[in-house]
Amino acid sequence: MPVLRTQGLTVRFGGLTALNNVNFEVASGEIRAIIGPNGAGKSTFFNCLTGVIRPTAGRVLLNGEDVAGLPSNRISQKGIARSYQITNILPNATTLENVRIAAQSRRHGWSMLRHHANFRDILDKAEAVLHAVGLGSKAEELAANLSHGDQRNLEIGIALATQPQVLCLDEPTAGMSAAETHETMELVRRIAKNLTILIVEHDMQVVMELASRITVLHYGEVLAEGAPAEIQDNPKVQEVYLKT
Amino acid sequence: MSKRSNKSFWIAFGIVLAALIIAPLVLPEFWRRFLTEILIWGLLAMSSDLLIGYTGMVSFGHSAFFGLGMYGAAAALLTVKPANLWLAILYGLCGSAVVAGFVAFFATRLRDIYFAITTLIFSQIFYVVIFTWTEVTGGENGLNFTRPQLGIPGIYTVTFTPEILHWFVLAVVTASYLILRRITHSPFGMVLQSIRENESRTRAIGYPVERYKIVAVMLSGLFAGLAGVLYAVQNRFAAPDFVYFVVSGEAVIYNVMGGIGTLVGPILGAGFFLGLREISSRIFGDQFPYLIPVGVIFIAMVIFLPQGLLGFAKRWLNR
Repeated sequence: MPVLRTQGLTVRFGGLTALNNVNFEVASGEIRAIIGPNGAGKSTFFNCLTGVIRPTAGRVLLNGEDVAGLPSNRISQKGIARSYQITNILPNATTLENVRIAAQSRRHGWSMLRHHANFRDILDKAEAVLHAVGLGSKAEELAANLSHGDQRNLEIGIALATQPQVLCLDEPTAGMSAAETHETMELVRRIAKNLTILIVEHDMQVVMELASRITVLHYGEVLAEGAPAEIQDNPKVQEVYLKT
Repeated sequence: MSKRSNKSFWIAFGIVLAALIIAPLVLPEFWRRFLTEILIWGLLAMSSDLLIGYTGMVSFGHSAFFGLGMYGAAAALLTVKPANLWLAILYGLCGSAVVAGFVAFFATRLRDIYFAITTLIFSQIFYVVIFTWTEVTGGENGLNFTRPQLGIPGIYTVTFTPEILHWFVLAVVTASYLILRRITHSPFGMVLQSIRENESRTRAIGYPVERYKIVAVMLSGLFAGLAGVLYAVQNRFAAPDFVYFVVSGEAVIYNVMGGIGTLVGPILGAGFFLGLREISSRIFGDQFPYLIPVGVIFIAMVIFLPQGLLGFAKRWLNR
């Protein structure tokens, strides 16, 4: 059974149809890339999955349960997490605190009378996540002082700390150097062992190397879907996307 | 926080507490009373710091919580015989909790200036109700009552002398400070700070932000109500002037002067502002608009010490 599925997902902003009847399935453990020209509806699709936008019509099924239209905090608790295209962290908190607060959202969030550092389980979880995303040595640094590449990885770390089943990565390598991009790709491969990943990415090399399957969006509709090699050879895709 | 700065914090805390315990024994009557009042206003300002400094919501409605604390205490002291201090606190807390729940439920749907304005309007509604409902609240004249005794009626009681009253207020304010400090360091408090830093991200990682805000406003309102009870006990009256929004504005000013997000800063700010006003009125006399120099100093502080007195002192000490 697919872990995540959308049926007839449609979003209209006034007269503009941003997503039109999107039927989409992703199997557990897959790394699925979603590509398409600017304005194809990729970000809208993510916003729908994570509760930022309420779809006009259609369903979002996570393990068969309809989560469409739930607020983003409920969706997060159900197990869909995301990282953002534009870095979205707590700049004035330490790297560790950024991840710790995300881990704490699963339990102890309402605890008021014990110091937060006394919750060893949360701290252990946060430290494990920091090591997983390669920021173990920068735990006590302010997030605002991290390099751009480290901040991007912290984004992923925050999402990971909420223990998601499905992780949506919105251009995780945006603005990274070639070396940083390579590291982040390795990171995505490592974490993909335990969860399902959807990734929006403009860097075609990253997409082709990482994804097990690719979905192409065009004007809010699914244009094509298939293995990287198939997509590369698909004449329709070449016409609208790869050539430009 | 590192171990060492933690230790120096507790040393400073002990010194200040000791000074405040000894103060009523050495100060003349007027200043003793003045100091007790500073502690009460400091508690009010500290309660609003939970919202301003830690959650990033500026409340202009704390006069309503404070005032309902006063009137709640008055209700207990006038209706129950013999007058019972603990019952006054309980009634005051209930009064402020009801108002805080009401305000929190509606105001937390809004953010930033809209939240501030909504809290202001709610507090003014309560002001008008209290001002006009003369049969129950005494209207413009307020309510007068006698001060209850400290202790458990019928078992052991002491009459409040000015010193004992000061120590009692000091104990309540210190306990409130320690509780609020613990709350701000708790997982719940960290969520509030996360909301302040980045509300949408906090929601995206799974926190029901509105509920956290409601609880924060209610907690803040409870401590503001406690300050109201203390003020009522000290002055033996409850008056509509204290529900008026000027009181809320002063609480915000104490925060800005002392340093928001520090809890002790607002107490320091209250002391500084009230002291400044007192000195200014003595120098210039009642005939002169003595608040003008106070205002000038306030503006200068906002420009030159934007982090408040405590923030400035911290930076200066670390230099």
